[in-house]
Amino acid sequence: MKFSFFHLMPWTDLPETPSQWPARNSYFNAERGKELYDSYLSTMAFAEQCGFDAVAANEHHFSPYSLMNNCNLIGAALSQRTKSIKLAMLGNLLPLLNPIRVAEEYAMLDVISGGRLVAGFVRGIPHEYIAYNIPPSESRARMKEALDLIIKAWTEPEPFGWEGEFYQHRAISIWPKPFQKPHPRILLSASNDESAEFVGQYDAMIGMTLIIDLDVAAKTIDVYRKVSRAHGRDPGPDSVLLSQQTCIADTDEEARAHMRAGLEYFHDKLMRPQQDAQRIVLQKSRFFSDEEQREFFVKRLVVHKSRSLEEQIDAGSVICGSPETVVKQIARLRKHLGAGQININMKIGTIPDHVVLRGMELFRDRVLPHVADL
Amino acid sequence: MSSHSFAERDINLPTGVLRVRSGGEGRNVVHLHSAAGPRLSPVIEMLAAHHKVHSPFAPGFDGTPVHAGVETIEDLADLVAVFIRQECGGKCDLIGESFGGWIAAWVAVKHPDLVWQVVLEAPAGLRPGGKGGLPDDPEARQRALYAVPERAPAETRSASTLMANRKATVLYGNRVAYDEALADRLATIKARTLILMGTQDTIIPAETGQLLKAHIPQSHLTYIHGAAHALEFDQPKRVGNLVIDFLDRGESFLVREKTSALT
Repeated sequence: MKFSFFHLMPWTDLPETPSQWPARNSYFNAERGKELYDSYLSTMAFAEQCGFDAVAANEHHFSPYSLMNNCNLIGAALSQRTKSIKLAMLGNLLPLLNPIRVAEEYAMLDVISGGRLVAGFVRGIPHEYIAYNIPPSESRARMKEALDLIIKAWTEPEPFGWEGEFYQHRAISIWPKPFQKPHPRILLSASNDESAEFVGQYDAMIGMTLIIDLDVAAKTIDVYRKVSRAHGRDPGPDSVLLSQQTCIADTDEEARAHMRAGLEYFHDKLMRPQQDAQRIVLQKSRFFSDEEQREFFVKRLVVHKSRSLEEQIDAGSVICGSPETVVKQIARLRKHLGAGQININMKIGTIPDHVVLRGMELFRDRVLPHVADL
Repeated sequence: MSSHSFAERDINLPTGVLRVRSGGEGRNVVHLHSAAGPRLSPVIEMLAAHHKVHSPFAPGFDGTPVHAGVETIEDLADLVAVFIRQECGGKCDLIGESFGGWIAAWVAVKHPDLVWQVVLEAPAGLRPGGKGGLPDDPEARQRALYAVPERAPAETRSASTLMANRKATVLYGNRVAYDEALADRLATIKARTLILMGTQDTIIPAETGQLLKAHIPQSHLTYIHGAAHALEFDQPKRVGNLVIDFLDRGESFLVREKTSALT
């Protein structure tokens, strides 16, 4: 199996729960922000010494939930602090962005890092569409067109123009082109069958997050595999990535205590304001193409939040415990879902950085040796 | 612009009678049809709001008479040149759709004095390595032609007419996938050329557009997203707005004038 180390870069010092989205930024303190970036970047670079195959980042806007509104900047910083670990951008919120800019930045990052980029493209969570003033109902169509355009920008040997529904360019010829040929490996996110079908149409890995039921997740992955096969590809375990909130400590009790505290801050303070925006988007747009997909998304969040930590572990939503316990949990995910990659997020809310670093060492010394060959 | 403003007439050329459909007012544009035969596409109607559009029927298509001595694509290009001289009285803009694009490229090569600007829409005759091509199976062929099936034009012509059109295509094209003589002379094309390719076209591969772009000195390659081979029917607004802008502004079409070309 392969493992990536993901960091959300949360703001850890919110004094109160924001009453409305977006959270007011008068809470932000620049000196503290500098400290956090320094600490988080050091932690992410440390992943290379802990046996992780990739260090991963993503993009969020207008929220203390994450201080990372452009993960490509983080990727660039990490390219200078690391030597061989892959840089997994998981990913750019494609429907919100200028696809040419994304193609250029990813190509730069791939060349600067000597071909270490994993190019993630995600549709994102609903409230981000308010932040960048993009109609949520257009998200799927924008995602497809932007992705097609980026692949063309990376691979086309001659200058070209593009005439589409959302993007029109009369001349494109990006410099640099990616280091990896024909282009960096692509990851697309999917949390439901409709998204999985979309991912299967491309030569891309599928990335899943927030699993609330292993059987439902297995079915979604199966949709991806079937569509991939219909397009002449047979994706192996290496093409399925699961993102998991994770806490590894010396004992189960210690890990669960840290995870509980971290999740409480994460859900009650960091997630709270964006849930309001999310509700408005879901009610007032067609972010999901049908009611069934919308209900599935909402239910997934509600169910997850209502569960105890033990129930979340049982459901395969989080990884938590001593190294020996975590080995069993990873083996279960591998067996049940056929997933060959796990994207581990250890900085949940206020979990202290020294606990995260200890968890990374435990992963290197007592988890990875038992799961690397699964 | 509606189709009733177009009129068909037969004109006498030295080699025989040529049918032409014309409409609109303005600078002359000659539109050369695909192997499907002459059809009044939404793009031609959009063009007629800006230009005088002439759509000559290649001899033998849609029941028209063949011309003595006109047997190859190059012969058709020479015939188009005669037509332009007689009907346009000098230089015009030239648009070719697939089979017509092949002819248009030869016109640009052999008769540079008659062409201002050229638009090549997924032109036939330049498929490197024979890649692509029209599927034999009717359903597969339809899928390869149209990414948006509901926009495919209703077929009102008889089976015998369509069969004759296919025979005419074979006669002129001689089943050539890659016209080496044309490829060798692309670099001599003087006219500014817009090359259009559908992102879902499996009949004419992307390599054809790349080849044209690489060799025609003043050229622009544009991909039409959401279009297969029948560009003018799959995405008429995208194609029509782009072609009109190119014909009106030439090289300056690179500079965007308004927020969105698609309204």
